Amino acid sequence: MSDRYRRSMTRQGTRLRAAGRLTIAQFRDQKVRLSLAVVGVTLAVLAITLLAGAGVGVLETGEQQFQTADRDLWVTSGDTRLTTAGGGGFENTLYDSRNLSAEMESHDGVALAAPLAFETVYVSTDGSDDFRTFVGTGIPGGGSSIQVTDGDALEGDPYYANGTYGGEMTREVLLDAETARSLDVSVGDTVHIGGSLAAARENEFTVVGISPTFERMLGTPTVTMPLSELHQVTGNTRTEPATFLAITVEDDARIETVKRELTEEYPEYEIRSNQEQLEAVLQEQVVLLAAGGTLVAVAIGAGVALTFSLLSLVIYQQRPTFAALTVQGVSPPLLLMTVIGQGLCIGLLGGGLGIVLTPPAVVALNRLATAVVGFDGLIQTAPWIYALALAIAMGIGSVAAVVAGWRVSQTPPLEVLS
Amino acid sequence: MAGSVASFDEASSSVVVSATDVSKRYTRGTEPGVLGRLLGRQSPPTVRAVDSASLEVRTEEIVGLAGPSGSGKSTLLHLLAGLERPTDGTVTFRGTDLASLSRRERTRHRLEHIGIVFQQFHLLDSLSARANVALPLVETGVGKRERRRRATDLLERVGLGDRLTHRPRELSGGEQQRVAIARALVTDPALVIADEPTGELDTESGRAILQEFERVAENRAVVLASHDRETLDLCDRLLRLRDGAVVDQPSRGGPRE
Repeated sequence: MSDRYRRSMTRQGTRLRAAGRLTIAQFRDQKVRLSLAVVGVTLAVLAITLLAGAGVGVLETGEQQFQTADRDLWVTSGDTRLTTAGGGGFENTLYDSRNLSAEMESHDGVALAAPLAFETVYVSTDGSDDFRTFVGTGIPGGGSSIQVTDGDALEGDPYYANGTYGGEMTREVLLDAETARSLDVSVGDTVHIGGSLAAARENEFTVVGISPTFERMLGTPTVTMPLSELHQVTGNTRTEPATFLAITVEDDARIETVKRELTEEYPEYEIRSNQEQLEAVLQEQVVLLAAGGTLVAVAIGAGVALTFSLLSLVIYQQRPTFAALTVQGVSPPLLLMTVIGQGLCIGLLGGGLGIVLTPPAVVALNRLATAVVGFDGLIQTAPWIYALALAIAMGIGSVAAVVAGWRVSQTPPLEVLS
Repeated sequence: MAGSVASFDEASSSVVVSATDVSKRYTRGTEPGVLGRLLGRQSPPTVRAVDSASLEVRTEEIVGLAGPSGSGKSTLLHLLAGLERPTDGTVTFRGTDLASLSRRERTRHRLEHIGIVFQQFHLLDSLSARANVALPLVETGVGKRERRRRATDLLERVGLGDRLTHRPRELSGGEQQRVAIARALVTDPALVIADEPTGELDTESGRAILQEFERVAENRAVVLASHDRETLDLCDRLLRLRDGAVVDQPSRGGPRE
């Protein structure tokens, strides 16, 4: 190693240490400015983590719902579309669902095939004209995969008896907590439900339990009842429409094999795995996805812009200091090191604080979302979100500082000092 | 065109810096582009801040620049310090034409050979008096212990031995200017430039600062720009400027003699 190289390295080391001390001194001297810059970067990081977390939450929640439904395959007729009519839910495009499910259940490897329907229904507490619309969910059987937080599960679906609607109606219904609260009812109370106002006036149901399952799945208040009774009160017993057939394969059967065989046997239907079904639902919601994606992009863009402008401002405000140093003969590298040091420190502090504050913010926002719209787990974070936010805070902070520092170093010092 | 020449004619003194027919013109605004010319936009007016001025400054000499505001005193100081390049003429520092140096080289040149004192001190509020003085030495590769020693010595020399760790805002105006003088001297420059060094100070503080400048000039050249009569009385000779040009012959010898 030549003496010249060694001297150069020593000088760079001295500069680096001096830049570090200068950075710390500037921060110590300008606590308010530093604090405001850190708060700004923290907000930028929170905007990124929370909005990106909302996007992830939608996907994760959807996936979890399909996973926890304890089904392996989903059968639909054509696309799975969210209906724009009434209170929400999916369009019911799969007709004669009872016979179809019975046929599929007889196929090798299929343990259970159950139709699932969503219809808009009118609900009232006393059968008067004060009706409100909700999504009515029809399930066959007691629904062992339905989570009940208060009261009991549904008994079953005895009204549909051997191909007829000759059994006895249970007149039982599950509500989600938000629906129960909005109707001011609890377990044991009665409500009127029907596909038309006339049908609702005539059909009284007893609230037997509180269940969040379908409210979480649909993101909207729901009433859950036996499938045949939903078809009855909505006048659909003739066509027996459903949104899905949910299939559970036998323990010793391979899901892919059963799927392939069913697809060959029923080419007119779409048969998908949990993941494929989620993707199919989401693909139909291009506008929704585009809006969500735009939101995340805007969040990241806003975070980048906010961080950039804050750091630029912090550096710009120190122009007289840097100009005085330049006049004294202090070189641009020392000034740039100081500036980069400030960018890194503000990015690290703001980014770190934003990441530390993200989990409690997620909890608070999720509670708020649950209370307001009843949607649980709206925001879910992932390690890559934290990494992205910190990288933006530190990376953009440093880049902004370098750009601002370079511009300041290019400004004739006398312009600033005179 | 040869301008007025002001020289200190003493064979034993070596010339530190000289300006020969230097002019500095500034353009107010930008030159019009093609479209601007088509639209009839005129070239912006130019202002001649310094007009064919010449002078030589030698070691142990204090030269004062006098004149009303806008007469070109500060611009001439900046040209001598290498902060600006002349539009015409040459500024030579110990035989080197400053216009031949790159920007980086001129920055290095100022660090090693020129100390600058401003009217408004321009100290870093975030650093102590000693750290302010020691900072330029970082660039020269001087070790930390030596930097502290030199800064302490200089602050003691200017009477601030008990203010080493004070921040600028904890010091009076006169004390801050003495810190600025110590900072200007820390690299042991051959030329000290001072622009209105007593302009922000009361009479008593100003006198104390002038005494410092007398000491400063013991082994180096000093160029002061000032409106203040008492400050100018300190100088070995004076150049009076008006509208950028030197309008008065130098006075030989001054109160120091």
